[in-house]
Amino acid sequence: MQVTTVKESQLKLKPVKSTSPWALARRKFLRNKLAMASLLFLIIVAILSFLAPYLTTQDIARINIGEMSLAPSGEHWLGTDKSGRDVFTRLLYGGRISLIVGISCTLLVILMGTVIGAMAGYFGGIIDSMLMRFTDFVLTFPFTVFVIVLNAVFFGKLNGLLVLILVISFLSWGSVARIVRSKILAEKENEYIMAAISIGCSPFKVIVKHLLPNVLSTIIVQGTILFATMIVVESGLSYLGFGVPAEIPSWGNMLSSANEPDVLQSKPWIWIPPALAITFTILAINFVGEGLKDALNPRSRR
Amino acid sequence: MSNLVHKEASLLEVKNLETAFSIDGAYYNAVDKVSFSIKPGQIVGVVGESGCGKSVLSLSIMQLLPKGNGEIRSGEITFEGVQLNQLSDTEMNRIRGRDISMIFQEPMTSLNPVFTIGYQLQEVLFNHMKISKGDARQKSIALLKSVGISRPEKLVDEYPHQLSGGMRQRVMIAMAIACQPKLLIADEPTTALDVTVQAQILELLKTIQEVNDMSIILITHDLGVIAEMCDEVLVMYAGRIIERSDAESLFYKPMHPYTELLLGAIPKMDEEAGMLSSIEGMVPSLKNMPETGCRFALRCPKVKPECSAVTPLLEEVEEGHSVSCILYETSMPRKGVKP
Repeated sequence: MQVTTVKESQLKLKPVKSTSPWALARRKFLRNKLAMASLLFLIIVAILSFLAPYLTTQDIARINIGEMSLAPSGEHWLGTDKSGRDVFTRLLYGGRISLIVGISCTLLVILMGTVIGAMAGYFGGIIDSMLMRFTDFVLTFPFTVFVIVLNAVFFGKLNGLLVLILVISFLSWGSVARIVRSKILAEKENEYIMAAISIGCSPFKVIVKHLLPNVLSTIIVQGTILFATMIVVESGLSYLGFGVPAEIPSWGNMLSSANEPDVLQSKPWIWIPPALAITFTILAINFVGEGLKDALNPRSRR
Repeated sequence: MSNLVHKEASLLEVKNLETAFSIDGAYYNAVDKVSFSIKPGQIVGVVGESGCGKSVLSLSIMQLLPKGNGEIRSGEITFEGVQLNQLSDTEMNRIRGRDISMIFQEPMTSLNPVFTIGYQLQEVLFNHMKISKGDARQKSIALLKSVGISRPEKLVDEYPHQLSGGMRQRVMIAMAIACQPKLLIADEPTTALDVTVQAQILELLKTIQEVNDMSIILITHDLGVIAEMCDEVLVMYAGRIIERSDAESLFYKPMHPYTELLLGAIPKMDEEAGMLSSIEGMVPSLKNMPETGCRFALRCPKVKPECSAVTPLLEEVEEGHSVSCILYETSMPRKGVKP
């Protein structure tokens, strides 16, 4: 008798709502300290960047001959660069550009890659062959050369930032398409996909409602890796001078002043802040990605 | 079933169906010239070893053959006067789930792991009916109740991984009968379940069949299931129907040597324990199928020299009992049931 009453009281204590796979993943992620700290760091970076106009009153573009290459001081927290512009201000505004380029490229790449990969994987046959050959074609473009040429062609005609985002995205969706396709190929063999067709679901419905939710974890993890990659790509291109137009500060633009031996050797305040910003942001994104991967993998138990 | 049922027009008619798979560019028939018909309210069993084309037959009817390598090469599948193999995908989608639905073998993998039970049940309803969200929820609870689930209000919000195999198969049945289809194809619905649950599921199918007055194609390799459930039985071997009869005479008077052997392989309670009897050899693979002659000849204990030369036809030997074996060809005047 005693035993049964204990059991009943335990039953009542159980949570009523059943936990979805997403809720389980969320719980796992929240327990991952490194990932949470990284996420917090990224949020702070994002807030600082996007609130830049309210945090500093310095003009990012105005050249100030009287204040060239000043070391860090009370007035200029991180000093000024060779044109007399405040490094701290430029760092905040630069974060904005890096994050915007990173996020929009990631979203575009994920969107294109998923649509093309899912269609190729689900329909198979000639559609698959054609889409995948197109993917191969795009993947063979020499990335840097292409970006440089396109940027030169569109220079001044269109918004430089927009061109950069579109060009990077168009050249990068190939790998995502391949991954999504392979995932869909494996997933569509499951009996529940046939069951979904057998209750009268159209191909569109099968892909969007049944297949994509099951490959979403892969897409999300891929997205975080891409986000990091895109920031690196943007910085790299800007460093070379082919990325974001020179008048807009970005972390990569700021780094390019380290080209000069004088700056590199004796004025570290000009290039160390953006370098650290890039490094830590990428690191944090990768930790978050790793955390997501763990959380979304049903086999990992923590 | 009563004789009355048999006089009605057939619900599904399959004529000379040939379904082939392409292997290395050549086509091999997995279902070879199969003809049969099902009348409203009838339960038809399809038995045979693995690889006999039972599942391919059901997938052909549902038009669910794997795109690219599976294909209906010839023949007709007529459902209520509509030829299913002529329909477009969109037209077929309207029939699937509403008029014909299917239960799969593996209840563990037939439900999508990322959605709740209720969501998946309601999806069938939304696919085929104009129904509000609230009504759909109520209906899905009612459906779960009708398949014998004891706490449907809770179960609708649960995920497949929280359910046992038997429960999942019940959910699958609930999904299949949601729109009261006229034909239910059950592809080995109890194979993955343990014996006690098997009996319950079969009982449930039979009850639902009587209540909704639907027809069932029951695919199985369990002759016990056939005996319990079916009005008519098709015995398949290597893609062909080799014997067709009502369930009773199949068990009391099996004609084809293969059927005899199948029945002999059932372990019996009253016999001395010993080796289980089995049929020597295996079903030949699609590529190695003999082109002429009886496909069972290689394994047949009653084989005659002419077996590998003459392709036997499915002929009605007795009232309602057809067999495709040359042992019976001379016993009656020729009454070809199919070419």
